[in-house]
Parts: sequence; structure tokens; C-alpha cells
Amino acid sequence: MENLIANFNYVIVVILMMIGLWAMLAQKNLIKKCIGMAIFQTGIILFFISIGAKNEAKVPILSKFVAENPPAIIVNDYANPLTQILMLTAIVVGVSTLGVGLAIVQKIYLEYGAIEENEILARIDSEDE
Amino acid sequence: MPSLPIWEFDVLLLVLVVLFALISLSIRNLMGAAIVFGAYSFMMCLIWAGMGAVDVAFTEAAVGAGVSTVFIVSTIYNTSATMQNKPGGLTFKLFIGLVVTLTGAFLLSALPDFPEWGDSESPANAVVAPYYIKNTITDAHVPNVVTSVLADYRGFDTLLETTVVFIACIAIYSILRTETAKSKTDEPEEEIAVLPSYDPSDSLIVRQASRFMIPFMQLFALYVIAHGHYSPGGGFQGGVILGASLILLAISFDLKFLLGHWSEKSLMLLVASGVFLYAAVGLACVFMGGNYLDYVVLDPILPGKGDMARSHGILLVEIGVGITVMFSMVAIHINLASNGRFDRGL
Repeated sequence: MENLIANFNYVIVVILMMIGLWAMLAQKNLIKKCIGMAIFQTGIILFFISIGAKNEAKVPILSKFVAENPPAIIVNDYANPLTQILMLTAIVVGVSTLGVGLAIVQKIYLEYGAIEENEILARIDSEDE
Repeated sequence: MPSLPIWEFDVLLLVLVVLFALISLSIRNLMGAAIVFGAYSFMMCLIWAGMGAVDVAFTEAAVGAGVSTVFIVSTIYNTSATMQNKPGGLTFKLFIGLVVTLTGAFLLSALPDFPEWGDSESPANAVVAPYYIKNTITDAHVPNVVTSVLADYRGFDTLLETTVVFIACIAIYSILRTETAKSKTDEPEEEIAVLPSYDPSDSLIVRQASRFMIPFMQLFALYVIAHGHYSPGGGFQGGVILGASLILLAISFDLKFLLGHWSEKSLMLLVASGVFLYAAVGLACVFMGGNYLDYVVLDPILPGKGDMARSHGILLVEIGVGITVMFSMVAIHINLASNGRFDRGL
């Protein structure tokens, strides 16, 4: 139990990822599936940011004083910049892929006139007959 | 209760985030789901800012809460706004529940192996990251470590991520902007059915307010790009804000109004030119006798004395990233809002 509280961030990460996975599998609505994908993705981003966080650490931007005296830099005063830049680019790429997903949803709607999985399957079946 | 290693406020936010995710997935009105998802993104933003990731929080505020909500709303506009709730079979539900629970249990079982939250000696924090923090000033004269890692130490990563945004833009074009969509003209009877009783694009207040806001948004975005060396921000954030200002113009006025200023061809050329600028800076380094994206060798052709070349090189590639991100956001929005027809839409 103590472990769970100490690693509360990671527990939430797992819960968010599972909510996203459940939405992608169980939701019939294609837009809801896209939202589920985005939630899964923010779960992963939260995981990386939690890894890079440090106790008592500040934002990874050096102050003027420290910038003028490079030997005075104390590494543990600053949060990990590496995990942050990986996630920064992932967010922008994520919105582009969300756009691709939504474009596919619109195309499906143009073809079949529905965005519910059951209805789309029913239309495909009726077209085959 | 043992003392929490994380800030107590974060616990509240983390619980709220889970609640918002569940609400946005369980609401039957899709428009409501999109709005709750935007609120979810804002909560996420606060959590990340609390952990010291201001650049990431900034990006999420612009992207997750702003632009992606608009994308989802345009898709709802072009499809149907409500959803039928036909629950699947019991076996299906049980199967999905089993899969999700098992996967979650596997992930949770790895939890004790993790380094404790905030441990500064964990492998992720202790090996390569300290080098960046220690050397960013002597190498690149950039106090914002995130910017120097983004555009200098790991320039290849960012180049390819920008290319992914470009490719996603092309993918959306090839999915929605087909020959049938190009030739399809307005059908008046359909338009009457689609138009809501209250047309927000007629609102004087919305138009005048956005007319007043957009110049300031764009000025702020330029500041964010140019000042990314010293404060949170950079090409991605500034590009998204610039794109959002044009999307606001398209929503508050009309899609035609925006397309009157930016033709389809020039939009696509600008999306490509951002990636091209980034790659060209890299190639210029090669021609000057260095490695790809090794800005030091650009010193003779860049202004500023001494070792400022890396700082200026970072600015150049950030501008490239900004151009690509801005115009790809606009192009994606136009495609999604008008269903690939480029005439009218949200």
C-alpha cells in the first residue's frame, strides 16, 4: 500500500492507459475511439514527465546568475530536460495523428453514412448481399 | 498515512484527470465529450507544469486544449452530433474487461521495480541528462535547456518529428481532398438542412472580438518563437499559436474568408518550406565542412561574434519548425472543417 502511494503518479498512468485502451476496444463510436487514443497517449506522456521529475527541482531554465557562472550549476536543481523534449515533440505529432484519425472517420462517414461500428458493419453486410 | 512524496495538490489533479477521462468517454453527447476532453487537457497541463515541465505544459495548452478540440468539433460538425447507445453483448464486454484488467495488472506488477518518484539518481536522471544541463551555456549560450536539447543536441529527432507532422498533413490531404471532393459543389437544399438556427459566423461580437485578438495572438506567438532560448516556448508552441490564430479567423468569419488570403497551393508550399528550411540549415553545415546540423561551422556566415553560432542555428531551425507546424495546423483544420471540399465548413 505504501508503495502505491509513493508511486501514485505511475498508478494513475496505468489507469489512464487502461481507460484509453478500453475506449479504443469497447466504444462503438469512432470519435470516442479517437478520444480514447488521445487519452492513452497523454498517459504515456505523464509517465515520461513523472520519470524526469525530481524532488525540490525547478524548471530547466537556468537563471541569469547561474548562466554567467557555469561552474555554479547544480544539476539536481533542475528537472530532467531530456524526457521533456521527447514528450514536447510527441504532443505535436500526436495532434497530427489525431487529425489523420479524424480524417479517416470523416471518410468513413462519407462512404457509409455512419460513425457507429455496428451500423457500418450492417451497411457493409447489406452491400455484400 | 505516510507523507506523500508528491505535492498534495497534484494528488487532487491526478484524481480529477481520471474522472474527466471517464466523463468524456461516457457522455453520450459527442460535443460535450469534446469539451470535457479539452478540460482534461488543461488539467494535464497543470500537472506537468507542477512537475517542472513548463515547455510541455505550454505545448499541451496550445495543442491539446485548443487545436485538437477544434479538430474533434469539426469532425462532429461533418458527421453526426449524437451517438446511439447500443451496448454490445455481455461476452464481448467481459472479454474486453478481461483484456484491459490483465494488461493493467501486468503493468502494475512492474510498479515496485520503478525508481521512486522524484529520485534524482534514477537511471533516466543520472546518466545523460546532467551533461545537457551542465554544458548548455558553454556550448550553445542557451539558458533554456529544453530548447538547446530540442534543436541542437537532438536536432535529428526534431527534424524527423517535423517531417512526421508534414507527412500527417499530406496523409490528410490524400484521404479527404479527393477528386470527388474537389468537383463537389454546394447543394443549396443540403445547406439549409445543415445550417443551425443560430449562425455564429453572423455574430458581430465574435467577429469584432477576434478581429481585436488575432494581431495580439500573432505577436505573442512570434515572441514565443524568438524568445524560446530564454523562456518556455519555441517553434512548436509558437507555430501552434500562429496556426490557432488563423483557425480562429476561419471560425469567426468564414472558411472562404481565410481561403481568400491563403490559397491551397501556397499553404502546402509553406508547410513544405518549413521542413526544407530545417533540412537546408543542416545541409549548409555540411557544405561549410562540418557534420549535418552541426551549427558551429556556420559561424562565418551568421551575425554575432565568437561562439554564438549554435544559438543562431537553433533560432533558424525553430523558425522552420514554426512555419511547418503553423501551416500544417491550418491545412488540417481546413480539410477537416470542410470535409476536403475547401468551400465552406465550420
